[in-house]
Amino acid sequence: MTAVIQTQNLSKWYGNVLGLSDVTLQIEPGITGILGPNGAGKSTFLKLITGQIKPNIGRVMIHGQKVWNNYALFAQIGFCPEQDSFYEELTGWQFLTNLLKLHHFSPEKINEKAEKAMDIVELTKDKDRVIRSYSRGMRQRLKVAQAIAHDPNIIILDEPLNGLDPLGRRKIIRLIKEYKGEGRMIVVSSHVLPEIEAMTNRIILIHQGKIFAQGDIHYIRDLIETHPHIISIKCSHPRLLAEKFIRYDYVLKVHFDLQKKSLLVETNNRDKFFSLLPSLFRENHISVEEITSPDDNLQAVFDYLIGK
Amino acid sequence: MTQGDTKKVSFFFQSVKDVFAFFFSLVKKVRKTKIFFFISFLPVFMAFIVKFSQIFSLARNIEGIYIFNNMIMTFYMQFLILILALFYGTSVSSEELEGKTLTYLTTRPVSKSAIIIGKYVAYTGLVVIMTILGVVFSFLVLNLNELYELSLYQILFRDVAVLGLGLMCYTAFFTFVGTILKRSIMFGLIFSFGWENVIQYFPGSTQKFTIVHYLKSLLPSPSTGRFSFLLFRLEPSSTGNSVFMLFLITGVFLVLACVLFTFKEYIMED
Repeated sequence: MTAVIQTQNLSKWYGNVLGLSDVTLQIEPGITGILGPNGAGKSTFLKLITGQIKPNIGRVMIHGQKVWNNYALFAQIGFCPEQDSFYEELTGWQFLTNLLKLHHFSPEKINEKAEKAMDIVELTKDKDRVIRSYSRGMRQRLKVAQAIAHDPNIIILDEPLNGLDPLGRRKIIRLIKEYKGEGRMIVVSSHVLPEIEAMTNRIILIHQGKIFAQGDIHYIRDLIETHPHIISIKCSHPRLLAEKFIRYDYVLKVHFDLQKKSLLVETNNRDKFFSLLPSLFRENHISVEEITSPDDNLQAVFDYLIGK
Repeated sequence: MTQGDTKKVSFFFQSVKDVFAFFFSLVKKVRKTKIFFFISFLPVFMAFIVKFSQIFSLARNIEGIYIFNNMIMTFYMQFLILILALFYGTSVSSEELEGKTLTYLTTRPVSKSAIIIGKYVAYTGLVVIMTILGVVFSFLVLNLNELYELSLYQILFRDVAVLGLGLMCYTAFFTFVGTILKRSIMFGLIFSFGWENVIQYFPGSTQKFTIVHYLKSLLPSPSTGRFSFLLFRLEPSSTGNSVFMLFLITGVFLVLACVLFTFKEYIMED
């Protein structure tokens, strides 16, 4: 398959702060997930491939053409930015139709395309409300609508699921998959692994401005499975529970968080550990207030993978 | 010109038209416009007060056109058009950065120059309309008893044209300032009420480094009277030269704004 987006030694600094370092990539048609913790460089990468900012070193090409100041290219690209900013005085409909005007469509086509996009993101009912009165989820959906309204072949979405409720998330994920089925190319970023996992199995891991890994999602999943997990349990008898836990070889460490009155358990087999919990609670008459996994996030996984 | 060039030019003008349509409809809705619309109507309120005073014979001997001319020279020329041009001109690019909406424009198939020109035309059009409405209403109120005098309309037409040229020129200058400086309002205030107000009275050719010099040159010179001995006074340029200079300044600053906006990298802070 031929790469649509190509970057070569792409690097970007914001003053002394490194945004992206030496990224050489080839992104092929289909869905590609850009995964990384907050501040990893995902948005910088997406801004560079959409010509929002200039690289300090290296180059970006889409369909073999340079991106920076190549405005003709944007007839085929739809970009959903991360920032929650709009022309607040406009209605959702006015916002969308005015942006479609910039694609030089006829007034009939503009109405047709705007109606279709509003329908897809389920904002038809609220299209005549001013954006200022929209909820966070509606604003997010409107951002997606402006990225897809002109039927682009390349859709680049920066954290598109932020601020959406579970139903909204599912709908956007389904939409992205449908677009893939239509032969379009989608690049989507997120800091939440399950979100990316639900959309694609082709991922690029980005961390501290560098491409950390790329390829199939199962690879990163396997890495995560071997990662020791910390589980916090807030219960009526933490010391009694700790005594029971240390008998199992997949429990590596047990310690107490005196402030939160909880027990922190480190395990290298999360599945076994969680299946053990109900019987332990029941047999020892322990009432549980809360079970959380404080390091069940991408940052913890990255810290583990890079050996911090 | 080849067919490709003609196509490019027509595409550029189509883009300018589309950007203009977008922002002309948007700018009318923003709060800033409502505030400035009110400010631009202050002379009309003043005109009503003056007219009422005249009716109740407090200042019956002062002609309406005399007050109108003073209004143009002081309120409009030295304050309103500068403020309007400053706030709308600088916002052509800075509001997109501050509002973080630039991305929506730069990811469309329109050139950055078309964005600048389209927004400039929209904003200049709006401030010209705002100003003309205030001027015309003030004129009508102040000259209520002499509206049959056709020569008065020549004065009105001339003043409207000069103010229009002033807005065109100042807005172009501030559009450029907005693309180059982050704190463009502060610089603009210093330029408007420092440089423009002071340098225009400098002797010799120094005063030609101000925009207001060319605007005032298009209006009849006020008689210096008993202050003719002063070194600091307006030494007007010819009408043709003044109009040419105003168009030249507008063109130069618009081109500079387009070039800068095209090649400068704007980083929106997260």
